[in-house]
Amino acid sequence: MDPQLTSIIVPTEELGQIEECLGRLVEDTGSDYALLLDKSGQVISSKGDGDRQDITALGALIAGVFASSREVAKLLRERDFRASFQQGVRENIFIALIEEQWILCIIFNKGTHIGLVKVLTKKATDELASVLERVRQQHKARDEVLGSSFRTSMEDTIDLLFRD
Amino acid sequence: MALINVAAREIHCKIVYYGPGMGGKTTNLQYIHSQVPKDVKGDLLSIATETERTLFFDFLPLDLGKVRGFQTRFHLYTVPGQVLYERTRVAVLNGADGVVFVADSSKQKMQENVNSLRELAQNVTRQNKRFAEFPIVLQYNKRDLPAEVIASVQTMDHFLGVNRMNWPRIEAVATTGAGVFETLRAISRAVISKL
Ligand SMILES: Nc1nc2c(ncn2[C@@H]2O[C@H](COP(=O)(O)OP(=O)(O)O)[C@@H](O)[C@H]2O)c(=O)[nH]1
Ligand SMILES: [Mg+2]
Repeated sequence: MDPQLTSIIVPTEELGQIEECLGRLVEDTGSDYALLLDKSGQVISSKGDGDRQDITALGALIAGVFASSREVAKLLRERDFRASFQQGVRENIFIALIEEQWILCIIFNKGTHIGLVKVLTKKATDELASVLERVRQQHKARDEVLGSSFRTSMEDTIDLLFRD
Repeated sequence: MALINVAAREIHCKIVYYGPGMGGKTTNLQYIHSQVPKDVKGDLLSIATETERTLFFDFLPLDLGKVRGFQTRFHLYTVPGQVLYERTRVAVLNGADGVVFVADSSKQKMQENVNSLRELAQNVTRQNKRFAEFPIVLQYNKRDLPAEVIASVQTMDHFLGVNRMNWPRIEAVATTGAGVFETLRAISRAVISKL
């Protein structure tokens, strides 16, 4: 099967490492929020104060912004924008790409210096890149993870919820 | 590709509504948003110009609840249809698990449909995905158009190469909701079959 069409499976152990990495990044930079997305905009993990209600929309928008800036890069014949920075009055956002696959996003306020965010984000992306590599290398069968009856249950749910 | 988070027991799938401008993509999402139960839907997010045309995308998260212990989420997106926004479409298509191609049934729009589908094929291939294996459902929208301007289903099949590709094809009137959920069920099933 086409590798690009198969699902990415993030196992428990790797998720633990991701959470730890994000937690450390938030703490060490004094940021408000760190967010790991896959390139389609799905939130893999997030760390920070408070429970953000808007996190799903945030993920979709940030991935959209990042994908757009990559298209801009192509038009400029720039190989890629590895990172981008958006400066607000209260909040700033720093976004970095991990191996063309994941997006790391840090939200921080005036109290945090961008230089520190850049340095520690670089460290974190290296760490996350090796976690990602392990995620990629594991070839667990879908059925082992989801159970063989998952698909049938899923179809029943779809029929139940998606109707006029 | 879908994302399966084993620890959090979550599954995410991304579905993109693609097609020529003014074909009814946004209307599809608006109808779905108006009909699904409150606990299933998130807010419909639209990034549009002042004149209501989609500028970047529309986004509707759907939470299907727990399926065999996995919290399952479908994220629906639309792309802006106008030719001008080709690169934006590439951006939104990134990481999609499946596409609903919303074709406009107006005779006048047949060439635009064909061009848009061709562009979709190109963009999917550029993401290193095999177009022939990629989950796609065709929706022939605006079946309520008057007889003198509407293209027959056979004509559309012919132009869009449905028979050759073996895609599910559904007739719809997105403004009244006819065929909208049938389309969503079809693409969901196609995506699930690839999980
Ligand atoms: N007659 C008719 N008009 C439709 C139908 N679906 C959408 N429209 C109209 O077509 C226009 C464009 O729809 P929109 O959803 O914004 O198209 P998009 O550019 O593909 O997102 C709007 O004025 C809709 O009301 C349909 O099934 N029949
Ligand atoms: Mg639209």
